[in-house]
Amino acid sequence: MRASSLLDQLAERQLLIVTGKGGVGKSTVCAALGRRLARHGRRTLLMEVDPRENLHRLLDVPPSGGEIVPVSNRLALQHLDARSVLDDLVREKLKVRVLADRVLASPVHRHFTEGAPGLKETGVFGRALRLLDGHVPRRAEVPQVVVLDAPATGHGVSWMAAPRLVSDVISSGPIGHMAAEIASFLEDPQRSAVVVVTQAEEMPVQETLELVEEMQRRLDRRPELVVVNGLYPELPADFEPAPDDLLGLLWAQRRTINAREIGRLAESWTGPTVHLPLVAVDGGSALTTAMERELAVQIEAVR
Amino acid sequence: MSAALEAPLVIVVGAGGVGKTTLAASLALDSARRGHDTLAMTFDPSRRLKDSLGVDPDAVTEASVPFNGPGRLAASLLDARQTFDRLVARYAPDEAARQRILTNRFYDHLSGTLAGMLEYMAVERLWEVQSEGTWSRVVLDTPPTRQAIDFLQAPERIVGFLDSGALRIALKPWFDPDGHLRATAKLGFVGRNVEAFFDRMVGLELLRDMAEFFQAFAPLFEGFRTRALEVQRLLRSDRCRFVLVSGPGPERVADTLFFARRLQEAGMRLGPVVVNRVHPEATHDADEQLAGHRLLAWLGRRDRRGVEELRSLLGGSHPLVDLPLLPDEPTDLASLTALGEAFTSRLVD
Repeated sequence: MRASSLLDQLAERQLLIVTGKGGVGKSTVCAALGRRLARHGRRTLLMEVDPRENLHRLLDVPPSGGEIVPVSNRLALQHLDARSVLDDLVREKLKVRVLADRVLASPVHRHFTEGAPGLKETGVFGRALRLLDGHVPRRAEVPQVVVLDAPATGHGVSWMAAPRLVSDVISSGPIGHMAAEIASFLEDPQRSAVVVVTQAEEMPVQETLELVEEMQRRLDRRPELVVVNGLYPELPADFEPAPDDLLGLLWAQRRTINAREIGRLAESWTGPTVHLPLVAVDGGSALTTAMERELAVQIEAVR
Repeated sequence: MSAALEAPLVIVVGAGGVGKTTLAASLALDSARRGHDTLAMTFDPSRRLKDSLGVDPDAVTEASVPFNGPGRLAASLLDARQTFDRLVARYAPDEAARQRILTNRFYDHLSGTLAGMLEYMAVERLWEVQSEGTWSRVVLDTPPTRQAIDFLQAPERIVGFLDSGALRIALKPWFDPDGHLRATAKLGFVGRNVEAFFDRMVGLELLRDMAEFFQAFAPLFEGFRTRALEVQRLLRSDRCRFVLVSGPGPERVADTLFFARRLQEAGMRLGPVVVNRVHPEATHDADEQLAGHRLLAWLGRRDRRGVEELRSLLGGSHPLVDLPLLPDEPTDLASLTALGEAFTSRLVD
């Protein structure tokens, strides 16, 4: 039997968390991956939580504004405001309208949900799981895979570790139970996968290595895929730019750094890795198409 | 350093991954080279600034940077929790109260982020440093844009929190000496249900920790509030300048403008806007034979377009500095100095 490709393996997961530092092209990789999974036959929902909507521009669809927006065959997009996810949770648990309004207006609720670490993250994961369980608005399709464009935080692992933190602090009650359930979902590599996006430069590689270590330590798991994005083209053999060839010199220097950092990453990270080139496309869905093509070739080749 | 940066407090803000930390370090170095005793502060947990300044990453207090110049240069890593602990120590009426706060489980888990206290602690430290008067200039690096907005609004949020009813409710004697929830009859039907709701949602144990925390913390709040208002004034005063750093390329323009407007609307003084790591433009196109040449030429045109777009949207009179993509990221004092000089000369142009 033919061994399944990395794409097949990723497509079996219900939740893909795409993480990475700001500026490394995380959203572009998300959009490309979402499109690829949809083309592979999975009903895919791209979920975005950054306060400023971004993904719709990479897919040429109108902004979601909180709704599930169909993008193409089997692909949809949703932007979530973490705050309103928590407010919805209150409305759902407190069925009496006047009480729910009172709680939502209460400064205690506002400051508690704003301040309690991990609550918003847990709420977002909870929403993703509910959608996967079939609780979708009318006329929307139930997704088979949710691809989460996780916000760029200093340390990406804090997002994934949030539900466990919440379930440790809040040991009883519905929130505590929900958090515990989500935490075990996130700790199960059969159901969720983590994709780390980085660039072959010193700081992004350093942070990727720290993230891998931190994931191992706090979640006892490793990423399923590391995407090295924005690589300068390989240098031709014996390439020696003339002293006045400024572009050639810069190319050679940047590519040398790329090669050095790819090597440094490979010393500590031996798991599945794909390399994506810097492409001469401005953005929008043309960029997503170009990246999808590159990504497809590689994740279908990795076994 | 140009007049635009003569302010005693320079706060470097911008999205993640645009080279803010490196730029903050080079501005601090440049300032010290011009004779100002300068402190570079960061609370980026990756401690990149300390790495780039060549100081020991495990040092927790100000470390002086070995450098021969007319001004002194030091770097420090801001640790919110440490600042918070120090604040508790300063305002707590006695040792018992201090211990009660520091050992509270709620403080341990939640206090750091409650109503933005974590960010607030960083600004608080900034205020401390500038009022000590040891440094004639402080250059502060910040977390990425969105968190930076949280960071800058932290004093407002603290004051808002302290003035809101949240605290009054939290300070109610919710628990009797045996740790059971007191009847909250006075709050009436709706109030009882609201409290019962929190009880059901998060469990009694956590509520008890919270109540204890707030009661232990109560004597500190007035000092907090006064200080938060002072910090708020400081950030809006003429002593403070914001340097906004952006990456190159037209797709960054909207984000940069958004943040520039947010700063100005909040009454803060926006100094130079920096477009960092701009690909150079091709001087002639005879070299566009190879893939790398073609890509770099395209990147040069793209980045130029981004800079021009931002310049026109910002308004021609606002100082905008574009810094070229360097062969390698500056990490030593020599390359940081070169970057600082490039910044200064571009600013004067």
